[in-house]
Amino acid sequence: MTSNKAPKLNDKSSYLTLSQDFAGEVISFRKALTESMEFGLKEFPNTLIMGQGVDDHKGIFGTTAGLAEKYGADRVFDTPLAEEGMTGVAIGASLAGMYPIQTHIRVDFALLAMNQLINLAAKYKYMSGGKFEVPMLIRMIIGRSWGQGSQHSQSLQSLFGHIPGLTVMMPSSAQSILESYPYFMMNHKGPVISIEHRLLYDIDFRVSDIPRQKESSPLTSYIAKPGKDLTIVATSIMVLEALRAADYVKKNAGIDCEVIDLNCISHPNRQMITESVKKTGKLIVADTSWQAYGVCAEMCRIISETCPTALRAPVITMGMAPSPCPTAKNLEDLFYPNERGLVDEICKLVTNREEHGIVLPTDQSTVESYKTFKGPF
Amino acid sequence: MISFKSLEEELFYKTLRIRMVEERIAEIYPSDKIQSPCHLSIGQEAVAVGACHSLTNEDLIFSNYRGHAYMLAKGGSLKEMIAELYGKYTGCGHGKAGSMHLFSEKVGMMVSSAVVASTIPHAVGAALGMKNNQRKNIAVTIFGDGATEEGIFHESLNFAALKQVPVLFLCENNGLAIHSKLNARQAYKIADIPKSFGIKTIVCEEGYDPLKVHACFSKAIQEMKKNPAPVFIEVTTCRYREHVGPNEDFNAGYRSKKEVDIWKSKDPVCTNKKGIEQYAPMIQKEINEAVEFAENSPWPEAKELLNDVQ
Ligand SMILES: Cc1ncc(C[n+]2csc(CCOP(=O)(O)OP(=O)(O)O)c2C)c(N)n1
Repeated sequence: MTSNKAPKLNDKSSYLTLSQDFAGEVISFRKALTESMEFGLKEFPNTLIMGQGVDDHKGIFGTTAGLAEKYGADRVFDTPLAEEGMTGVAIGASLAGMYPIQTHIRVDFALLAMNQLINLAAKYKYMSGGKFEVPMLIRMIIGRSWGQGSQHSQSLQSLFGHIPGLTVMMPSSAQSILESYPYFMMNHKGPVISIEHRLLYDIDFRVSDIPRQKESSPLTSYIAKPGKDLTIVATSIMVLEALRAADYVKKNAGIDCEVIDLNCISHPNRQMITESVKKTGKLIVADTSWQAYGVCAEMCRIISETCPTALRAPVITMGMAPSPCPTAKNLEDLFYPNERGLVDEICKLVTNREEHGIVLPTDQSTVESYKTFKGPF
Repeated sequence: MISFKSLEEELFYKTLRIRMVEERIAEIYPSDKIQSPCHLSIGQEAVAVGACHSLTNEDLIFSNYRGHAYMLAKGGSLKEMIAELYGKYTGCGHGKAGSMHLFSEKVGMMVSSAVVASTIPHAVGAALGMKNNQRKNIAVTIFGDGATEEGIFHESLNFAALKQVPVLFLCENNGLAIHSKLNARQAYKIADIPKSFGIKTIVCEEGYDPLKVHACFSKAIQEMKKNPAPVFIEVTTCRYREHVGPNEDFNAGYRSKKEVDIWKSKDPVCTNKKGIEQYAPMIQKEINEAVEFAENSPWPEAKELLNDVQ
């Protein structure tokens, strides 16, 4: 038996190389993804990019466009419609020393690969007593935008976060991608699922001059905004909604929110979260998904297990309405959590009154592109 | 009811009607009144018409996201369809389903699913039920060439052949899965797969001609109703527009306009000017009424969000 060969790494390079290249610059989420895909191909000869449409002119919303031409069809290739089989192929390739990056243009399509992800990829290391590992990155995109409906818009992080053996990311900024994707390729030996929110793609982010992590791994959470009155733990695009809501209540009601970007679903920074709640005594969890059995429930578990007496008010959770996603615009607007709802909850929590009297913001979503988004896909 | 001089004329009318509906949708689309991704069937309507013409309301069909043509060919309400695209309460799914999930319980149009190949086994199961109840009906599953790459397709063929249930597998082979051509995805010939399960397999290469498609289907359906057994029909067809959305996309470079033009030169809905002249006005009137109906219909009320969840 041969043992698993991890991709050949250049010892001198650090996973922070890529984010440092963009230090101080403003780049879009999409650009960060494109750069990290190219980084993988350029730096590591064992990297493969495989998935439906990765080599076409649209190239997964532009993030893989042109790479097949540049790095060859052996390394960047279209796959048949065979999600489970192709995930198994990626696992096999990984065992043979490759670093597969697999794409699913909708999270929903990855459901066909659950067997390979959960029964196989997540368990290779454990069941081999640590002798085999399957380093690979699986990108899944949340398709939310107008009219996507029940089967093209789901946010399924909790399904994956539930499984020991899977590392699950939800990057909310360009920086998170620039730091974590190279880390996966260079330092992480297991399967990673990264759930990218499509509405983030066109948003620009400033990459900070100093790396957020120097020595340790980016598989953790970050304080997106420090504050003292209440804690908001948010995921993905809800981090942006939370930051806007925090800004609004600061200006309009003098409320000082601390916003924590959960960032890594499978490795939340428990200490950061509990310390924040001990400081503020109040917690709102704002997730992109359904509340039941998900990130919202998990945050409640962390607090109940570690510092139940720190809470000075019941926890508030926000997520999608407990229904499949409707297509009618008026219902879709009710279905998704938004800044306005978040502001309302913050005000209720801090004033301890249903009728808090603070005027709510009118516009409903963080993302300009969400409002101006033109279909079809 | 319109009376037709011939079957050919009737099928032409039905095909033209779907084409005109699709073109109208494409026209409305940029206004954002239809906020639902549409996979238009333009170029492929004759397959739906030819396949559905010999089915009764008790024969059940299971479609995919490219379902407008099947909704209409099976006799579903045009008004309910357009209203659904508009997200209005009067739509077949009360505005909660959208273009990718059309159905009509009244005429046996059971489902359209946006997950490729996902409803193929539903037709097999329905056919199993029909056979067990000794009903003289059949179930039809509609899917594209890309769907044959999914494992569930092969699993469904096997079970259908094993149990000899009256299911008709209809593969619309337009040679493309989004922008990807057959030879980039398949190391097999589609028709060889059902044959290897012993399933009767027919290939119809004239998917532009509703009469020829109809001839294949009506014969197969009659036989299936006499002796329940699975049948596979692959129809060669051509998608004129982009995979999803209202436009052409020849500038993308994954196929040439010439390929499509050749197809159009054989397509009666493009060539039969006299027929178009004769029927277009009455179809236009019907479409206008449906669009007006959709525009004037109410949005679903807020309480609809949590209705029908469990
Ligand atoms: C399981 C799954 N994988 C991927 C997709 C994305 N997707 C939507 S349509 C499509 C192409 C399907 O091609 P085909 O079956 O030939 O049907 P066509 O669209 O050409 O009618 C793909 C890949 C999906 N909807 N479901």
